[in-house]
Amino acid sequence: MKKETAIKIVLFAFFTVVCLLILIPFYAVTIASFKPGEDLIRYGLNLKFDLSVMNFDNFVYLFTGDHAYFTWFFNSVLLTLVQVTLTLLVSATVAYGFSAYEFRGKNFLFICVLLIMMVPFEILLLPLYTLTNNMGLMNSYSAIILPGIAGAATIFFFRQYLSGIPKEIIAAGRVDGASEYGIYLRLILPIMKPSFAAMAILNGMNSWNNFLWPFMVLSSEHKYTLPIGLKTLLTPYGNNYDLLIVGSFFSILPILALFLAFQKYFIDGMTAGAVKG
Amino acid sequence: MKKKGFLALMVVAMVVFLAGCGGSSKEEGGESSVLNAGAGESATELSYWTFVELHGQHFEKMLEKWNAANPDRQIKLNVTVMPYDDMHNKLSIAVQTGVGAPDIADIELGKFPDFLAGTPQLEPLNDVAEPFKGTVVQSQLDLYSKEGNIYGLSTHVGATVAFYNTEILEQAGVDYKTIVTWDDFKKAGMQVYEKTGKYMGTADTSAIWQESLLLAQQGADLTDEAGNPKVNSPELVKALTMLKDLQDNNVISTIAGGQPDTEEAYGEYNSGNYAAAFMPLWQMSRYTNYMADLQGKIAIAPLPVFEKGMPRSYGGGGTGTVVTKTAKDVQLAKDFIAYAKLSLDANIEIWNTLGFDPINMSVWDMKDVTHNPENQFVKYFVNNPFDVLNEIKDEIQLIKSTSASPTINNVLCTVTLNEIFEDGKDVQKALDDAQAQIEQELK
Amino acid sequence: MFKNFLYSQKVAPYVFVLPFVLVFLIFWVYPLLSSFGMSFQKVTLGQEAQWVGIDNYTKLMSDTIFFKAVRNSGVYMILTLLILIPFPMLFAVLINNKFMWGREFFKSSFFFPALTSVVVAGTIFRLMFGEMEGSLINSLLGVFGVEPVKFLKGQVTGFIALVALASWRWMGVNMLYFLSGLKNIPDDYYEAASIDGASAFQKFTRITMPLLKPTTIYVLTISIYAGLAMFIESMMLWNGNNSPKNIGLTIVGYLYRQGIEKNNLGYAAAVGIVLLLITMVINLTQLAFSGMFKKED
Repeated sequence: MKKETAIKIVLFAFFTVVCLLILIPFYAVTIASFKPGEDLIRYGLNLKFDLSVMNFDNFVYLFTGDHAYFTWFFNSVLLTLVQVTLTLLVSATVAYGFSAYEFRGKNFLFICVLLIMMVPFEILLLPLYTLTNNMGLMNSYSAIILPGIAGAATIFFFRQYLSGIPKEIIAAGRVDGASEYGIYLRLILPIMKPSFAAMAILNGMNSWNNFLWPFMVLSSEHKYTLPIGLKTLLTPYGNNYDLLIVGSFFSILPILALFLAFQKYFIDGMTAGAVKG
Repeated sequence: MKKKGFLALMVVAMVVFLAGCGGSSKEEGGESSVLNAGAGESATELSYWTFVELHGQHFEKMLEKWNAANPDRQIKLNVTVMPYDDMHNKLSIAVQTGVGAPDIADIELGKFPDFLAGTPQLEPLNDVAEPFKGTVVQSQLDLYSKEGNIYGLSTHVGATVAFYNTEILEQAGVDYKTIVTWDDFKKAGMQVYEKTGKYMGTADTSAIWQESLLLAQQGADLTDEAGNPKVNSPELVKALTMLKDLQDNNVISTIAGGQPDTEEAYGEYNSGNYAAAFMPLWQMSRYTNYMADLQGKIAIAPLPVFEKGMPRSYGGGGTGTVVTKTAKDVQLAKDFIAYAKLSLDANIEIWNTLGFDPINMSVWDMKDVTHNPENQFVKYFVNNPFDVLNEIKDEIQLIKSTSASPTINNVLCTVTLNEIFEDGKDVQKALDDAQAQIEQELK
Repeated sequence: MFKNFLYSQKVAPYVFVLPFVLVFLIFWVYPLLSSFGMSFQKVTLGQEAQWVGIDNYTKLMSDTIFFKAVRNSGVYMILTLLILIPFPMLFAVLINNKFMWGREFFKSSFFFPALTSVVVAGTIFRLMFGEMEGSLINSLLGVFGVEPVKFLKGQVTGFIALVALASWRWMGVNMLYFLSGLKNIPDDYYEAASIDGASAFQKFTRITMPLLKPTTIYVLTISIYAGLAMFIESMMLWNGNNSPKNIGLTIVGYLYRQGIEKNNLGYAAAVGIVLLLITMVINLTQLAFSGMFKKED
């Protein structure tokens, strides 16, 4: 018994130390959000908890100041919701096609799905930019949503999930006279519900934090998402550190709240893509 | 998830999605920053991109005057401010693809040659600049020209001067007025370091203001007559060797941010860690905006030189305002920017709002404008900037801007200056390497 | 008639996968082909593109900055692999231990950094690794009497910051991958091993590691991909794409610099094609070595 307690204490102490290291940046940005931006520029981001310089000015400015922060915030929320909903619906449909049928070209197409997962999206930036331009989709959210609407990882995951659903359901549906699409919509989609939560989280996180492609596509300030908007504050000609830090701090809060509420789904979602042993 | 709920969600998503698509590609600029400036219903809406928030304010002032004076040609201006790199990158893609460009944009001098490559996708501004030819500095018009066509309208001369922190200098017993040559500067700097432990100036690693001004003093340039790079010239070797010697003697030191015009450096200066900066005159606005603690302590003086009699200034930096080929109303945009950048009124406002040295030099002699006691810049500094400007008026040199300039700038600022001042690499060797690298990149 | 056709069992599967086919053709195949074509062209502002054969590729082969970028991306990838596979695996095993207190709490806090966007995380790390005496890392070093370090100006120290950022963000995520892998290992195996008198270390090397292989391969594959395609982390850490002496320049960063900052679309396309080849070769070799192609399940 003695030995077990010792192990417990050592393990706990070890993880506490690592955990503190991980939390340091959050602590620093939290402290900084209560200090004037000028303080940050002069003394750097640090751990000093100095009540004499700390106040709520930045938060007051965040909520009442003349800036576009909450426009960006709302855009991010909207884009994430729309993107996740559409991606999940389209990907699930495709996955069902792969899972429920045998058809010519199926294997080839599925290899294409796997291949996409291995091609760095970044190399397509320039041609994709020209393409978006030619399609007249510049500066629109469609340009951000469409290329990822049939997400390879999501299709892959849904297909894995569907392979666990008995084929008899489909056969029974046909006997009852349901059409191919009716079977999918009325019988299969409802059963897939649990897998949607995990994928919603995974896609939601990616969408919420997505930067490079939206950054290239969007050019008007009122359409920026939160990461893009925050990045525009990083300019020596604006002196926007007050808003940048408090905005960064605040941008973590909603996702933290969601995370704490749906922890289990987050963790399932993140690990869902991993190949099961 | 019940079927009904699911379908409802799908419908909502689709509606929102389609709403998001509609008419999206036509809008430009942030709606939060539309300048109406007294414009009526029939006003033409123009979009304007800049990387300096204050430039937008200047345009706002000029727009009010324009709209009042031209009731039949009123303008509404959509101002979008973006970070330096992002704005130039986006603009570059936009003019290349011909879609998404604003009507009017600011392009920084260092990036300007990139936009003049090939067939410039900008409107020539010769016709609107013509009436102002006698009143503004010709070399500032040439700076943004290609093959006789003017493509950008300059904002300022950017005469480089020395900014001294008199408080530190007094502590060290140094009188900045006695600093005439770099030798004087070195002696003063060593004294400052000895007495106060502070550095006199900066060894810049991310900008070439210092190299440019030292070249200009020697009548040299970064490029030869044909515009080809020559960064391993004896003049630049001499300049950097001198700076390196200053660094070795603790007169100058590298600074966080790499040069005085960065947010980190504002903090360092504001804390009184460096006593001098050699910067174009527009650095004044950085002092007033970001270094409040130094109010009443900063004096402006001509630059030190290698030998007495050498020219004591060069025009550094700058922004050319352009009209893109895809502008909605090209003539209106051109007329407006000529008015907002070249007219006498504009030049007076450029000093009042932005604290820049205007390119219409007659403003320099208008005592009521330049010595206005209410002016924030006049109030901030120990002496009046125009007293210095008028002293060096005929000595302001220029460093050419050629198609090689962006590459030269990039190599020096990312690699060479870091090697010299951070790693102590031999000056000649570092510059030879830079020359080879630049030639390779331009191939 | 048409409705019958569309509703037939033969056609339905194609209707289901149609969205993927469209997206694949429009947003992957077409751009990839046009990128490939562009890599043989010289594109100048306002003028017709010219065919220049393999000029872009030959120039690339003598471009020292490009090789610097390749080296940076490669080193970054290897460092992240060396840190972000063994440590998360170890943490997962430890945290899964029956002697662990507060397991759920630690799981959550390790995962937490993954929720921040690169923009926010990169900015925080840039400020933390600032060169001022008072900046977080320097002030901590100062406690031990170490002089302030200019982290983001040196190759080694810059990479420390870069890898710290990556480790911070992905440690918890990779740990979760391994935890879910551990769940699939039946407890009987360990019990049997205990009866045979195996030590904890033996259990780890003989049972845990081999059975975690599928998870490890998955983590390895995505880490290779993420390592080679890294760009925004560097861009945020150096507040731009031009780090001193290009210490933070990556392959994608170079593609961005050439294609977007310098308008050399053709040259940038060549960079992209080379990156594609590198990624494919490394990942396919890795998968072949780990026997992924043999096993069919």
